[in-house]
Amino acid sequence: MAEKLDVKQGTLALMILKTLEVLGPLHGYGVARRIEETSKHRLTLNYGTLYPALLKLEQEGFVTAEWRPSENNRRAKYYALTAAGRKQLAREARDWHRTADLIAAFLAPRREAP
Amino acid sequence: MRHLRAALARLAGVFTGHRADDDLREELQSHMDLHTAENIRRGMHPDEARRQAMLASGGLTAAAEAVRDQRGLPWLESAAADVRYALRALRHRPGFTALVVITLALGIGANTAIFSVVRGVLLKPLPHRDGDRLVYLRHSIDGPARGNMQFSVPEVGDLRAGAPSLADIAEYSPWFGTLHGTDGAIRLDVGLVTGNFFEIMGLAPILGRLTRPADDGTGVPPVMVLTHDFWKRRFGGDSGIVGHQVRLGSKSATVIGVLQPAPYFPDRVDAFTNMVISDHHLSALMVLDRSHRMTEIVARLAPGATLEQARAEVAAVFTRMQSQYREAYDPASHHRVVVAPFKQVLGERARLTVWLLMAAAAFVLIISAANVANLTLMRGVRREHELVVRAALGAGVARLRRLLLVENLVLAFLGAVLGVFIAAFGVGLLVSFAERYSPRAGEIRLDAWVLGFALTLSVILALLLSFVAALPREGTFASWIAAGGHRVSTGVRRQLLQRGLVVAQVAVSVVLLAGAGLLTRTMMRLADVDTGLVTENVLTLPVPLFDPTRMDFTSDGAAKELYDRMRLELLALPGVTEVGLGSTMPLRGSMIAFDVAADGKALAPGEAMPHADLRTANPEYFRAAGIPLLNGREFSPTDQPGSGRVTIVNQRLAEALFHGEDPLGKRIALRGEVLRFTPFSGDWRTIVGVVGNTQDGGLDTEPRAVMFMPFAQELTIFGGLVIRAERDAADLAGTATQIVRRMAPQAPIENVLTVAQIKDQSVAPRRLNAALLSSFGILAVIIAAVGIAGVLAFSVSARTHEIGIRMSLGADPGRVQRMILREGGVLLAIGLVMGLAGAFFGTRVINGLLFGVAPHDPITFAGVAAMMAAIGIGACWIPALRAARIDPAITMRS
Repeated sequence: MAEKLDVKQGTLALMILKTLEVLGPLHGYGVARRIEETSKHRLTLNYGTLYPALLKLEQEGFVTAEWRPSENNRRAKYYALTAAGRKQLAREARDWHRTADLIAAFLAPRREAP
Repeated sequence: MRHLRAALARLAGVFTGHRADDDLREELQSHMDLHTAENIRRGMHPDEARRQAMLASGGLTAAAEAVRDQRGLPWLESAAADVRYALRALRHRPGFTALVVITLALGIGANTAIFSVVRGVLLKPLPHRDGDRLVYLRHSIDGPARGNMQFSVPEVGDLRAGAPSLADIAEYSPWFGTLHGTDGAIRLDVGLVTGNFFEIMGLAPILGRLTRPADDGTGVPPVMVLTHDFWKRRFGGDSGIVGHQVRLGSKSATVIGVLQPAPYFPDRVDAFTNMVISDHHLSALMVLDRSHRMTEIVARLAPGATLEQARAEVAAVFTRMQSQYREAYDPASHHRVVVAPFKQVLGERARLTVWLLMAAAAFVLIISAANVANLTLMRGVRREHELVVRAALGAGVARLRRLLLVENLVLAFLGAVLGVFIAAFGVGLLVSFAERYSPRAGEIRLDAWVLGFALTLSVILALLLSFVAALPREGTFASWIAAGGHRVSTGVRRQLLQRGLVVAQVAVSVVLLAGAGLLTRTMMRLADVDTGLVTENVLTLPVPLFDPTRMDFTSDGAAKELYDRMRLELLALPGVTEVGLGSTMPLRGSMIAFDVAADGKALAPGEAMPHADLRTANPEYFRAAGIPLLNGREFSPTDQPGSGRVTIVNQRLAEALFHGEDPLGKRIALRGEVLRFTPFSGDWRTIVGVVGNTQDGGLDTEPRAVMFMPFAQELTIFGGLVIRAERDAADLAGTATQIVRRMAPQAPIENVLTVAQIKDQSVAPRRLNAALLSSFGILAVIIAAVGIAGVLAFSVSARTHEIGIRMSLGADPGRVQRMILREGGVLLAIGLVMGLAGAFFGTRVINGLLFGVAPHDPITFAGVAAMMAAIGIGACWIPALRAARIDPAITMRS
């Protein structure tokens, strides 16, 4: 099995927002599956991590939640991105890239050092 | 925006939590169903599919808990849970709760009430604009009752010219007149002020306008500013009062405005007018005579000027005046001027008393807190079991500490609420108490500061109480739990703490009792002071006929005649044995005083000329008042304006003038520049009699020198009747007042009192002091007694087993009882010794409030020690008795 990673709160929020942007409205299970698959199962999300994160995004107004029938005719709570959420995603993604670049630049010379 | 929105959502979540729980359960269930369904689709056996989904969930309960924490505000919810728990726990022990709350309420209530006085009278910023820039100037010289000489108008002029640090000086002269209204005449106390007075004081009108410089001088109409109090009292707060004319003596003044509520100073007055209302205040005497001092002054510091600069400049001006006008400043009298912040002067008389009461209240709080701490410690032992169970279930030390803190906070808040109620009832009483000491008594109220004070006290108490309870340190938790049901900390530390608290309670009570005892002894000493006259059965009835608005002496003959007619009419009343006439009533201070010279006696170098109060009396006055004639004769009906001028002196003046020689037949005269401007002559007068000293200046001061002159020979500026009756003279007051009112309807008749009542009034403030401090002392002793009894009772119950063993081994009940008594007695003795030592040093601060007793009066100390010992032993007796009644058979079996 691949090495398991911890998910940071802010990172998880970004992943959820991106998932909802790509796949459209989705229930919690779907979000979890998608994140796990995208990470090639290096990340696993238990309920206690996923649902507080979803609730927090809802409280901040980045996603909305709604009960709807699911694909196999069960009821599930679907989360959808709001306009504010879309903006937040863009902002966080940009920040993340910047940080990643910065860290990469910072770490690069180290490898060359004697 | 985002954070605010999230915060609001979470706050809402606190209240909607239980509804959202169902939703969450359903959502988690649907997640698991979806997962299971997918697992089945992938070919798992349904049971295995469900098991795998369950494993991946990480636990439904934990997840729900995590979501709940995100949904609401967990700390708030757990605090609410703590409060709920604390309330439930306290409800289960109503006795303990009531005792703690009441004890704390007494302590907090006493402190809140007294703090409201401290704040209102001493701390609160003055209502005056930039009140911190106001300074008061006091002129004093050596000698009794000469602490405040006031200033003369020329002196004020010199200060204005020579002290640039004072932006300007406001003049104020105490005065009174007779206000005539439809319902008769009343005495009106008036402050005569210069036009700049209110501007300098920084006070504003709530109605109309205040005086201004254009109102100064002659040839202007008299105008009157009403004080807020008088406006409410006399005119019912009539907003149409401005523009009305009021008759004051022979003149009338226009009401121009109503002053904002402000501390009265230096006297309580009903109204202010400009100087023009009083002929005297515009006379040459007032304006030109340097030694005619009738003016109080308050000044405002110039911008940038400091108090020190003002002090230096004023001192320089005064030195210059003394060398320039030698006749107005007798060097032997040591003239001096003090410049003090106005706010400080307003609090001057109250300061010592109020801080003393604050200290007493603090002592009561210390004792109550000690009691509550002891109760908490005892309860701590009883609930140790519960805390161990909680710890075993996973509560950390911090959590337990928080639980205790919340519980104590609840107790302290309940105590504070009850305490504030107690204080609210006390405030009315305290205002009337403070009125005797402070012009700012009207500002005492339970305002936000005072409530904040009560709240702060309760939080501090709760914190302290939470930390006396012994909890183990973080590392030793396991052993604490392991010890389980056994008593973990019957330890020495707790016992020492409890005993220490009892000792402290006793010691603090003793200090309080000593203070109360000294003030009570002061009262007793004052009551024993010989007033110099017979106080029983004498009624005094001052009848002011002279109109101070006009210096008109032409009607003096008619006034004398009227006084005589009143005298005869009152004498005819049944039960009246004698009626005297005089300028000033017995035990009241005279308003007129002069330097007195003796014929043929030169003053020793540096000796100040004797100063005597001037009083007039008719022949019957001395007998009516009961002033003993020591030598010579009383005035006789033949001492008339045309006959030779005679005088009677009191013993003190005779002593000051003649140093033991026989004063009869010697001649004395009034002296001083000021005489030129008064209706009194400096003629030689022959001494025909010597009377005893009387305590006119107050019971606690040296008697003053007095010079009596025949009522018939001098102008009657003041006048009144002294009525001696066969029985209680107070019964005569109504009838006598009626008669006098009928005969002199224009005169305000007030203060018709027996001499005993006047004496009583003069000691009333001290009696209130003694009563307040005594009630604090008694409160302290009661609380301390409950404390001793409680700690011993606890000790007995903790030692039941041991006592049972002792008794079964042959100790008889008497012995057991003595053992417990000894245990309490040791604490009591240590507390007594410490308390007496504390009192020995502590009572020095109240020296200024004492009369006739030393601050470490042995009788008081012995009495206090005996009282505390008796009450303490009484408190020990109950638990000791209980110990003696322990049945060894029952104890051993349990």
